[in-house]
Amino acid sequence: MARLVRLVDTSRRISGLPGVLISRSAGNWNKDWKPGPYPVNPEDRAAVARKYGLRPDEYKPIPDDGLGVGDYPDLPLVTAESRDPYYPWDHPEHRRDFMEPIHAEYDMYGLDRVNASQKLRFSVTQQFLAFMGVMTFFVGTYYLMESRKIHWPLLPKQYPGDGKVHYTFEKPE
Amino acid sequence: MGHMYSSLLSDPNVTPDYKTGPTFDPLYGFPEGRKERVMLVTQEEMESVGLPVDKRDYCAHLAVKHRACREKVWPWAFKCGHERHEYLQCQHEDYVLRMKEYERERRLLERAKRKARKAAKEEMEE
Repeated sequence: MARLVRLVDTSRRISGLPGVLISRSAGNWNKDWKPGPYPVNPEDRAAVARKYGLRPDEYKPIPDDGLGVGDYPDLPLVTAESRDPYYPWDHPEHRRDFMEPIHAEYDMYGLDRVNASQKLRFSVTQQFLAFMGVMTFFVGTYYLMESRKIHWPLLPKQYPGDGKVHYTFEKPE
Repeated sequence: MGHMYSSLLSDPNVTPDYKTGPTFDPLYGFPEGRKERVMLVTQEEMESVGLPVDKRDYCAHLAVKHRACREKVWPWAFKCGHERHEYLQCQHEDYVLRMKEYERERRLLERAKRKARKAAKEEMEE
């Protein structure tokens, strides 16, 4: 066992990697990562703020409206795409710093997801009008042309037994 | 002008309806009458060879003959080339007849329009 510990220690020193940096223990299992109950009194709030790495004056819990977010902080939403790409982020692929508290709906605002501060290229009215214009053009064309469809210059095929007498263009004998 | 130009743009109202049959009396303009088309095979025969419903037309007797021949000589189906040619020739003539019926309908519609215009003109003069 001692040999093993020594080996790990040596290899860490040789590879130049720092040891695992632990500033707080988030827990071991998913039930430990769940937010706690909604804080009511100021002492609770201070403790919870420390837990999430926030100053007590920064900490503001998400309103307890029955959606079960507990004591999780209500953080300002700055989506990854609206963050500076040239800033030396600790996690450039997520544009996030180490230990930075993350938004409650962080998984929705990654670089490959929604950009909440996006400016639309065309306004919603313009989009609606463009959609209606295209649809009106095609549907209108369809209804206008419905009575005059392209067809071969033929009348329907004649079948015996449909209650009509069919004739050829020849004279009877 | 061409069929598409006249049926869509120039005079769509004298274009026959391709989905319904002839609207004029089929014997109108034939003082000696017309030869009737005859069905040369019975319903039972068509059913017994399992002829599909869309093939039970005025060429069905040739279709039945062709099928019977194939049944007899299978797998040497090329031996029924004569029967197949007869059947396809009959189908071609049926197609030509449909084209003729269309053209007759179109000309009669044009004639009706011409007559109506003439009658309206005479009424105006009186």
